[in-house]
Amino acid sequence: MAAIVISRGDVSGLDNKDFEKLALPLLDGLYNFACWLSGDADEAHDLVQETFLKALKGFASFRSGTNFRAWMFRILRNTFLTSRTGLERRNTAQQDEQGFEDSVISPDTPELAMLRRADTQLVQTAIAGLSPVFREVILLADMQEMRYQEIAETLDIPIGTVMSRLARARKQVRDQIIAAVGSKKVIGIRS
Amino acid sequence: MKCGWQEKINLYVDGELEPAAQQLFAGHLQECVNCSDLVMEQELLKKAVRLAGKRFSAPPQLYADVRRQIHPETRERSWLQWGLAAVCLLLVIALGVSRLSPLRGEDSTVAQLVDQHVTMLASANPVDVISSNKHVVKPWYQGKLPFTFNPPELAADSPFTLVGGRMVYAQHAPGAELVYQIRQHKLSVFIFQAKDVHGQPSATNHAFTVKGWQQGGLQYYVITDAGKQDTDTLQSLLEEANRS
Repeated sequence: MAAIVISRGDVSGLDNKDFEKLALPLLDGLYNFACWLSGDADEAHDLVQETFLKALKGFASFRSGTNFRAWMFRILRNTFLTSRTGLERRNTAQQDEQGFEDSVISPDTPELAMLRRADTQLVQTAIAGLSPVFREVILLADMQEMRYQEIAETLDIPIGTVMSRLARARKQVRDQIIAAVGSKKVIGIRS
Repeated sequence: MKCGWQEKINLYVDGELEPAAQQLFAGHLQECVNCSDLVMEQELLKKAVRLAGKRFSAPPQLYADVRRQIHPETRERSWLQWGLAAVCLLLVIALGVSRLSPLRGEDSTVAQLVDQHVTMLASANPVDVISSNKHVVKPWYQGKLPFTFNPPELAADSPFTLVGGRMVYAQHAPGAELVYQIRQHKLSVFIFQAKDVHGQPSATNHAFTVKGWQQGGLQYYVITDAGKQDTDTLQSLLEEANRS
């Protein structure tokens, strides 16, 4: 989805209908992201509602030139981070981020065939197994198809951090898939 | 030795390089096997995450709740207004039902499946399990369906290619949709338990070729814009593969 950037002249005079037109198409993506963040459908429901409420209140003072989608996702993420679950996950995330080693994928083990055999459920398990800081960056990049700049705005981190987290997230997902497909192969789960 | 371009693989795959660098990298891929393997791997991974990441859909109730937040005045409507609206709606539906001849069960099922086929054709992600290997596609349905079936073993020179599969529902029953390709045409093979979904499609009202048959307690439908002969051939392959 292309980024929606509202220019200075557009902001004044925007009303609830304009907000609805801009924000409602993002609802499904926000809910999906909220589910991945919180791991709970009810909490995701509340998070999205609170996000829309905050965004609606802040819409009048919405900063011109800002990417609307990144702004909405940022509100959602900040709302999550200040929730109880979010605070618990944040502590875990900081621990997880320390001590990561080489993020470059080794050329010796491309394992393309194994990646091709990965089914959706297996990939979902691999994504769910990521720590939150890596999960959010890979979902924004690959699922929401955000540019690095947009991700940096959403997560309020430098672009360099987006790049390194994304590389690490992909490596972890890849390694987990290959390990899982490899073990299936060993125990012979074939038709 | 590690190639100097390897650090830029993510940037290339994500389209984040400057256009000139993107072009240079594309040129490099022609001669570097390691980098082209890694690019292919990252692209597969991106696609897999995109498919798997879209896991949760917002429930209609959330849309309704959010709309109410945006337009709080809709809450103020009195019960009387809602009651009147509901009565009017019921009247309109009752009138419509009395004037239109109802679709027969099997026709409405086939119409649903034709819609599923068209949705698949229009989708950027037409299948949930992507593989031309039946030994990958068939196990994907394990635990998802209360029945099993055999996709045909396609010979090396077969004009058909298995594209993949996904889950479908008709008449509240789960089923499989296998997607095959022949030349530029896609064919959807829908498989359900015959006790849940059944009936022969009528010859009219379809812009697509639709074929239905039962075998081993299962109901099969093939829906495609390919010709009848291709449909018959695929039917024979499926019947042969599922003959007990």
